[in-house]
Amino acid sequence: MDYSMLLLILLGSPVIAALLMAVLPSKSTPRVAYEAIHLISLIGVAVAGLMLVAMTFVGYDIFALGEWFHLDGLGALFLILIVIIAPCTGLYSLPYIAHDIADGKLGPSQVKQYYVFFSLFVFSMLLAVTSNNIIMMWVSVEATTLSTVFLVGVYRTKLALEAAWKYVIVCTAGVAFGLFGTLLVYANAADIMLDPHQAVFWTAILPNAPFMDHSLMMIAFVFAVIGFGTKAGLFPMHTWLPDAHSEAPSPVSGLLSGVLLKCAILIVLRFYILAAANVGDAFPQTVMMILGVLSVCYAAFEVYKQNDLKRKLAYSSCENVGLIAVCFGIGGPLGIIAGLVHCLAHGLTKALMFCLAGNVMMKYHTRDLSKISGIMTVAPVTGVLFAAGCLALAGFPPFAMFISEMFMILAGVAAQCWWAIVLVLIALVVVIMALVRMITHAVLGLAPEGMSKKDVPALALIPEIVLLALVLVLGVALPGPLAGSIEEASAIVLGYEDENPANGSLFDDAMAALAMSEEGEVIDTW
Amino acid sequence: MLDYSLVNVLGACLIITSMTVVLARTGKAAAYLYSLQSLVLVGLLLSLGAVTGSPELFTWGATAFATKVILVPAILLFTLKKLDNNVEVDLPPKLNPMKSVALVAVEVFVCFVAVSGIDLPTAAAVKPTLAVSLAHFFIGLTCIVIQRSIFKQIFGYCLMENGSHVTLALLAPQAPELVEIGVATDAIFAVIILAVLVWRIAHYAHTLDADDLCELKG
Repeated sequence: MDYSMLLLILLGSPVIAALLMAVLPSKSTPRVAYEAIHLISLIGVAVAGLMLVAMTFVGYDIFALGEWFHLDGLGALFLILIVIIAPCTGLYSLPYIAHDIADGKLGPSQVKQYYVFFSLFVFSMLLAVTSNNIIMMWVSVEATTLSTVFLVGVYRTKLALEAAWKYVIVCTAGVAFGLFGTLLVYANAADIMLDPHQAVFWTAILPNAPFMDHSLMMIAFVFAVIGFGTKAGLFPMHTWLPDAHSEAPSPVSGLLSGVLLKCAILIVLRFYILAAANVGDAFPQTVMMILGVLSVCYAAFEVYKQNDLKRKLAYSSCENVGLIAVCFGIGGPLGIIAGLVHCLAHGLTKALMFCLAGNVMMKYHTRDLSKISGIMTVAPVTGVLFAAGCLALAGFPPFAMFISEMFMILAGVAAQCWWAIVLVLIALVVVIMALVRMITHAVLGLAPEGMSKKDVPALALIPEIVLLALVLVLGVALPGPLAGSIEEASAIVLGYEDENPANGSLFDDAMAALAMSEEGEVIDTW
Repeated sequence: MLDYSLVNVLGACLIITSMTVVLARTGKAAAYLYSLQSLVLVGLLLSLGAVTGSPELFTWGATAFATKVILVPAILLFTLKKLDNNVEVDLPPKLNPMKSVALVAVEVFVCFVAVSGIDLPTAAAVKPTLAVSLAHFFIGLTCIVIQRSIFKQIFGYCLMENGSHVTLALLAPQAPELVEIGVATDAIFAVIILAVLVWRIAHYAHTLDADDLCELKG
């Protein structure tokens, strides 16, 4: 099979769906037509995406349209998030949007707008993870903003429009800095490469990265981190995130938090790899560590303070993106593995939590946590899922985020980043307090009098059960092919692609580094 | 006079015209002044094309003329026409003109200092223009921050985008055509989306005052 063609089918499926829905007249087209096109497109994305991911798991490096598109082990890891979360949130959209129509919040033109932009949003994220052209990477990140503005403001209330405005202004302005960083990398590479036309391709720049100008590369990396870090929600460029996540429809919030932030992290990682190859690990690690620790510490207290369910979850996203940055800041095999596993774990967990927040809003018609109590009584399945989701988000075993957070702490111990680990652990305790408080009051509290005891439709619960099952599976035992893929992706980040790890496996290398650090500690103590 | 000094002179003209966009009292005047600035940008692209012998830059100049001199100002003027009469568009900025000029002067100075430290053969002869292009990011940001009217904030984005365009021309003149088309298309879509959003905010929230759009806090 021609895998390049499969990559193009993956990209084309949501675009064709968006164009098809865009030409349908909104008033005379029944909602089911949009839903059918929406689902068919998402099935296409899931099937093509999973086949491509499987091929990269067995070692294929897929290129399409010359070198414009490229799927390597690192990109495949983020593609997994899209091909799982987009269909889950897409399926969840059906009952959620139907409920909003019944509530009078959405009219026919808004429903059409929702499904058209949902497909465009999925396309722009696919473009971001498969683009090999660094300027197209920027275009794709910018496209994610433009395709989601009308999703954030779909309710056309003053608050939704305010959130949409802040989102588009902050992100387009922020990402413009990313373009400057991108152009500096291009110009730097074009100066030393025999064929300057190749200097736009990430795979062509990477082997030449060590020979590029060091100071320019450092400036470019800082610009890239500011630019794409804005989109990732890193402090202090995160200001759009709580507003956009809280005002968007819940399935969109899930997609924004679960996937979009990770796509931006992937672009940051691409620049991290180039910078590390050029000036060594220390500089990019320091930048990531500073931004990561600041994000975690700031966002943790905001998570505790917020009384709006979706804003609480939004700040939790900011905190978790900070944790990912801390992992990359720690570096080394274990740090990178921790960061990548956390991308997967948090993506799935947060998509689950935003969908559950949608269930709660369907039931209680509010996001105000002081008015939400007794979910377990009025909607038992949602209640169980919500409590499990909160525990998963808090990093309790046996859920996936426990594994990634444990890896992060071990990596920090191995690298002896004591100050960072202490600060992060304090912040994590604050987050645990906030989430446990949410369980005790919102889930286990007394239900409001007179509220009917009926759960949300089964169609809303199915994607949530799937997401929770995946979070659980990742937490109990990382499937072999996925572990191999994480290892390969970590090798790309560490520049080990052409080298053999000392112990035959990066996981073993990481554990060896940890053991050596512990031995060192014992010797120091003696 | 077809050498790099012409490029640098046009770079200086970009700063002056962007200043006029920031200081324009009405949205309509800002749209016309932005068109003028884009015309200077087209001149810069063409002169750079002539100096470097890069044919791509002539095509970029043509697309920039169509999109930035004509299309973007037309979209913005059309939006102005469509806005409800009871919504005030030409709100005074948060900073007075003298302070705005001083702030921009500081930004330009800092950018010149920053660029003087860069050692890049591609841009050695056009360092002043490179500084100007970098300064446009900050002038655009300033425009977004100091304007109370969200309609005028769009010009902040447009100025940043012009800065990107100049940077792209200076640092990546050999980049594939499709890249420039991608960046230009992106900018057009961004302006259309911002304009539609401004119209919706005016229509549904009955205000274009950024100070009225501060309910989401904390």
